[in-house]
Amino acid sequence: MENENLITPTPQEQGETPPVEVPAVEAAPAKSSSDRPHNLPEGYIPESAKPVVHEEKEVGSGMSPKEAMKIRMKSMTKQEIGYLRRKMIFEKAWPVFRFLILFGLGFVILTPLMFMISYGFRESGDMNDPTVMWIPRNLTLKVMKQTINAMGLTNSIANRQNPLFNTLVLNLGCSLLQVLTCAITGYGFARFKFKGRDLLFGIVILMILVPTQILSIPLYMTFKNFMFGAVNLIDKFAVMYLPAMMANGIRSGLMIFIFRQFFRGLPKELEDAAYLDGCGPFNTFIRVMVPNAASSFLTVFLFSIVWYWNDFYVSSSFFTNTKTIALVLKNLDTTLNLAIFNNANAQVSAREKIVWLESGCLISITPMLILYACLQRHFTEGIERSGLVG
Amino acid sequence: MKIPYERRKSLYGYGFIALWLVGTILWFLKPMVESLCYCFMDNGSLKPEVGGMNKEWLPLADWGWIANFKYAFATDPSYKQKLLEVLKDTALTTPMILVFSLFIAVILNQEFKGRGFARAIFFLPVIIATGPVYNIINGDIASTGADSGAQFSTLFQTDIVDELLEFLGVMNISDSLSEIINTVTTDIFGLVWSSGIQILIFLAALQNIPPSAKEAASMEGATAWEYFWKITLPYVSPMILANFIYTVIDSFTATDNGVMSRVLEKQLEWDYGYAAAMAWSYFAIVMIVVGIITVIINKFIFYEVE
Repeated sequence: MENENLITPTPQEQGETPPVEVPAVEAAPAKSSSDRPHNLPEGYIPESAKPVVHEEKEVGSGMSPKEAMKIRMKSMTKQEIGYLRRKMIFEKAWPVFRFLILFGLGFVILTPLMFMISYGFRESGDMNDPTVMWIPRNLTLKVMKQTINAMGLTNSIANRQNPLFNTLVLNLGCSLLQVLTCAITGYGFARFKFKGRDLLFGIVILMILVPTQILSIPLYMTFKNFMFGAVNLIDKFAVMYLPAMMANGIRSGLMIFIFRQFFRGLPKELEDAAYLDGCGPFNTFIRVMVPNAASSFLTVFLFSIVWYWNDFYVSSSFFTNTKTIALVLKNLDTTLNLAIFNNANAQVSAREKIVWLESGCLISITPMLILYACLQRHFTEGIERSGLVG
Repeated sequence: MKIPYERRKSLYGYGFIALWLVGTILWFLKPMVESLCYCFMDNGSLKPEVGGMNKEWLPLADWGWIANFKYAFATDPSYKQKLLEVLKDTALTTPMILVFSLFIAVILNQEFKGRGFARAIFFLPVIIATGPVYNIINGDIASTGADSGAQFSTLFQTDIVDELLEFLGVMNISDSLSEIINTVTTDIFGLVWSSGIQILIFLAALQNIPPSAKEAASMEGATAWEYFWKITLPYVSPMILANFIYTVIDSFTATDNGVMSRVLEKQLEWDYGYAAAMAWSYFAIVMIVVGIITVIINKFIFYEVE
């Protein structure tokens, strides 16, 4: 108590006397304290110990936090001081550890990407050069161009020859349809009470749990003999579009679940207001609920695009001649063997082949990387807001 | 005619899910029941024909109907072994993924410079790990490129732990222990790459911890350690369960796990009956294990509401 009275100048004093006067009183404890470096001259006050005079209205103004702390510590017990010391050490050391951990693990994640970039743009001869590790000696776009040609990305888009075009058409169409239908279904589960709702929702959970591998053969038969054998859907885009249209596309169970959780989290008053104004349920859904769910829609749409882009299981089961990017990539080795290494002149060792493989990988993930780089916020924030948690 | 309001609303509910219901019956329930039936059909005669599948039920008498399961567990050369392998692997990696992703989520939830960048990097696996690129960079190219793929994977697999243990002279404590340590540490790459979504979910849960809890803890003088055990962990515990289920399902439906690839092999050999029996018994085992563990975890979960 006494100490505080001593140093804290009254507002009046502080206003009149220049701040230089104040240190005269305060410097005393700083000087006598033992933590002052010994090799410094007698009258030296370390920069941090010099009192900073703040605005008058601040309580306890007139001294730096450090000094205030020192005074407070005099009245503290041993445990309290120990606690503060431990806390301080932890706060100093932790950022260093954190940086090391994040840097190391971030390196593990980025290594494959750096690999692709480093290997995709070099000449295959560099693979046999022991001095070349990360930075290629001969930068070239030749391998890139060869791989693009071999993957068929330069084919005409007619007759579904071009994998990139196929993928885009399937991807965007299916994702849009699936997000729409899953949202409608999720809303139905979230806001309406009807008989058998829990049982039907159990089926949604089952959709998440049952792996596609179990279903693929019966599904193949269904597609092959669609409409009681009238239509053969195999190798048609319909094998992807039809399920997506009816909320049964890739990972649709998870999407319905996310939408249901999200719509349950929205306040009921929104709809009640719309109902009172004479809006029907479907109109309410489109005019009131959908605008509110915009960010959730975007997140699910983005994930849907990624999943369709990465899918090779469904497409390899039901497509015979139609190629998608993921399918080409899955069989990249065979494709390359046929297209590039198939003549007598090309003698390429397995080690040299890595160059082509890596450039193929780089080509196929670049669109997703760009999408991610531009919309990263929506990938992550949407999940936090979607009400999936809590 | 007037329909009461409640009835009308429930009819609208059916309207909203009608499209999904039709799709599910066509593309999910029917194939599922059919594949379940394959388990009890004669494997030899189960062949696709013009207009559908040629089906023949197994005889009911004398336990004849379990012939496909008998094949899977008794005759098939690698199914049982692969099943055990996958179960053991999942049992080891799932807790690792959970602990690791919670740890990373706690770090990414703190305030520091470059946090946005760090988050962007750690979520990157979310968009890549589901695709074939992951298989390639993980050193597993489907067809003939096995040796070129192997050169990659060696980059990410080190024997540091082995050497360290040897250096300390404790190499021969017990083979199984060092084996466990090995699986855990050599696959840092797989660990980091398969915990993207889990980190995301934990991070979202961490951000839902009310600030009042944090304030109260710091008023009472809780250290970071105590704060983690007494505030963070209880608040995120529901998400530990969710993440556990997600991780198990993710690894068990992955095309590159041993059992699933065995099932696919059998399908390619036209042994649909055997393949169905293998897949369904695998599914049943995993579901039973998940169910038991869920019940156990549920006892330790702290729900704020209720």
